Amino acid sequence: MRNLVFYFQVHQPRRIRPYRRSEIGVRHDYFWDERNREIMQRVAQKCYIPATRILLQEGIPASFSLSGIFLEQAAEYAPEVIEIFRDYFKSGLGEVMSETYYHSLASIWNPQEFRNQVEEHRRLVQRLFGISPVSFRNTELIFSDEISREVKGMGFRNMVTEGTDEIIATHSPNYPYLSVSGLKLLLRNYRMSDDIAFRFSNPGWNDFPLFADKYAGWVANSPGDVTNVFMDYETFGEHQWKETGIFQFLTALPHELSRRGVEIATVDRATSDNGNHGTVSVENPISWADTDRNLNAWLGNAMQNDAFNAVKSLSGTQDVKTWRTLQTSDHIYYMSVRNFADQDVHSYFNPYQSPYLAFMYYMAILDDLAMAVNK
Amino acid sequence: MKIAVIGWELPPAFSGGLGVHTINLFGRLAGIMNIDVYVPAMKRLGKNYPFSVVPVKLNRGVIGNPYEIEGFPGFREAVDDYNLKLLERFDPHGVSLVHCHDWITFRAGEMIREKYGIPLVITFHSTERDRSGNFNPQADIMDIERDGARAADRIIAVSAFTRDEIIRDYGADPHKITVVHNGVDNEHYTMMPRTYEPTKRVLYLGRVTTQKGPGFFMEAAALVSQRVPEARFVVAGTGDQYQEVRRLASELGISERTEFTGFVSFRKSVEIYRSSDVFVLPAVSEPFGMTVIESMILGTPVIISRTTGVGEALRNVLRVDYWDTGLIADYVESMLKFRSMRRIMGTMGQQEASKFTWERAAIDTLGVYLSI
Repeated sequence: MRNLVFYFQVHQPRRIRPYRRSEIGVRHDYFWDERNREIMQRVAQKCYIPATRILLQEGIPASFSLSGIFLEQAAEYAPEVIEIFRDYFKSGLGEVMSETYYHSLASIWNPQEFRNQVEEHRRLVQRLFGISPVSFRNTELIFSDEISREVKGMGFRNMVTEGTDEIIATHSPNYPYLSVSGLKLLLRNYRMSDDIAFRFSNPGWNDFPLFADKYAGWVANSPGDVTNVFMDYETFGEHQWKETGIFQFLTALPHELSRRGVEIATVDRATSDNGNHGTVSVENPISWADTDRNLNAWLGNAMQNDAFNAVKSLSGTQDVKTWRTLQTSDHIYYMSVRNFADQDVHSYFNPYQSPYLAFMYYMAILDDLAMAVNK
Repeated sequence: MKIAVIGWELPPAFSGGLGVHTINLFGRLAGIMNIDVYVPAMKRLGKNYPFSVVPVKLNRGVIGNPYEIEGFPGFREAVDDYNLKLLERFDPHGVSLVHCHDWITFRAGEMIREKYGIPLVITFHSTERDRSGNFNPQADIMDIERDGARAADRIIAVSAFTRDEIIRDYGADPHKITVVHNGVDNEHYTMMPRTYEPTKRVLYLGRVTTQKGPGFFMEAAALVSQRVPEARFVVAGTGDQYQEVRRLASELGISERTEFTGFVSFRKSVEIYRSSDVFVLPAVSEPFGMTVIESMILGTPVIISRTTGVGEALRNVLRVDYWDTGLIADYVESMLKFRSMRRIMGTMGQQEASKFTWERAAIDTLGVYLSI
């Protein structure tokens, strides 16, 4: 094993507030400002600032996707977060990846809208960090051959997606590949990623407690060239609290890896240093969400499909910014009713604790927005 | 193990909640223990029960539904007579515990415990505060409930909501209280899947009495009616507030859009649930809320008050404060408008409600017995 690739997703939706049907046509403020501020400031203190400081101090390279919706809220509610990311990217350690500004599902229904949102994100990243991204990651790693063609068409070099069971049955996630459109492709190693993201603090896990030397040993002894460790950045300090030792783990990892001859790399570094092992074709969209690893987390039930169709139908609205902010995939993710294992993940992130409330608030807001369209 | 159950009614003689509970729960437990069920002697008692039934002959008062005391002037007399006669009639031979149900039977349980030293388990299906709808509870009945809670070795509450009331109002020792949710017989309900095509019918089903909040239902209905003129409202059931609620509908100008069915049989209620887009229970104080489970089993989504006990164990419901008629109206409107939500909530709710089985209630109750 030559490289461990860190890719971190950084995103916070602009959550809508409990908006009631009786407010339609009366009130047009949709977003839950106090809640969004509170969450941004909390996660900034628990994760974004301390984790990024460690990356800087320890010289840890990583690729980041920072959604536009995240960046604009950070600028508004916790500007020090922008500052520390700016320091980090200025240091040359990090790579900023491209994506849709709104963390939306545009890629699966409207290529033009998709391109517009990617372009909006590109402009923001250029303005904030002076960087023009060469690697692309789509919302929650949603990927298909068709999407890869769009992304290639926009001039990107690399893309990342999930190493689903179906893909890794024939293609080890530990090598770079090419998409059918010719992008260099990295596949998430879900086992190695989830060891940190989900299992790290689980006392019932055989490998608990997980220390950096043990993990580095696994990486070093794995066959292949790249171990793709992709996860929510909030893993560090927010999903896994600092009391679990997650920061010590992160601090110790580079040393433990380099002792074993493994170098941490960004997505772009890893794909240029390691040759590809053939082409991977994905006909139907995959993602890293839930256990299905497809679009079911967003389009898995009739309410979600209603909501998705409703937001699509408002493409003529005057208030494009609001319409796009309502396209953030989280709004629809909150309407998932999948039980079993995934229900826990959905409820953990659901600010309303109920898929039905998420649906009603969203639909009422769209009805209000639609009245403005029809005026 | 042999237990003596002190009940009040048994189907087919009355089929109030207490009788249904008795036959279902003890019908299950009878498979693994000997059970004597004491009830007042009534003409319409059945012939075959899964446990032995001991009728207690009363001389005074009028036997009635304990939840509609107002309709029965001789009711309290009958309760007193029953408790005394029961003590005379009681056969303590081999009985390891006595299990009493609601205040109407508590005194007998206490006297038996005193006389024979047999441990006492009591179940609160509701409290006087619930039954009065928080309005003017009767002090003497509250005394009986308080004494029962004090004397009992173990207390079963039908919800955490009820448990908290018993602790708060009667100072009961939390350590001796166990929550056992009721079950439902879902085989009675198995039927064709629903399409969730709109019927625009909004249902209230249950006794029409202050405790269940029918007035709040009518007020919410009036708000819904303004925004969804095609909505229709159904009030199914009777009770002491029946005329009052009809008058309210008329005052609110929605009489034409509201159907008052009067008393409904079980079979009829199934049909009514199934033909409604949404069931609303804005109860002021509802210890469990069997109708919620019935509605869900039949695939009809529900909106319930936070003061409805069963809600604590349910995810696929919408919860409101019973007085927040504006919010109830908002929720009802969404229900009427979105077939997708009716369908998802209806089918998810159906699955969720099926976990309320009498087998589980029996196992939990057995756990209480074995803890003594």
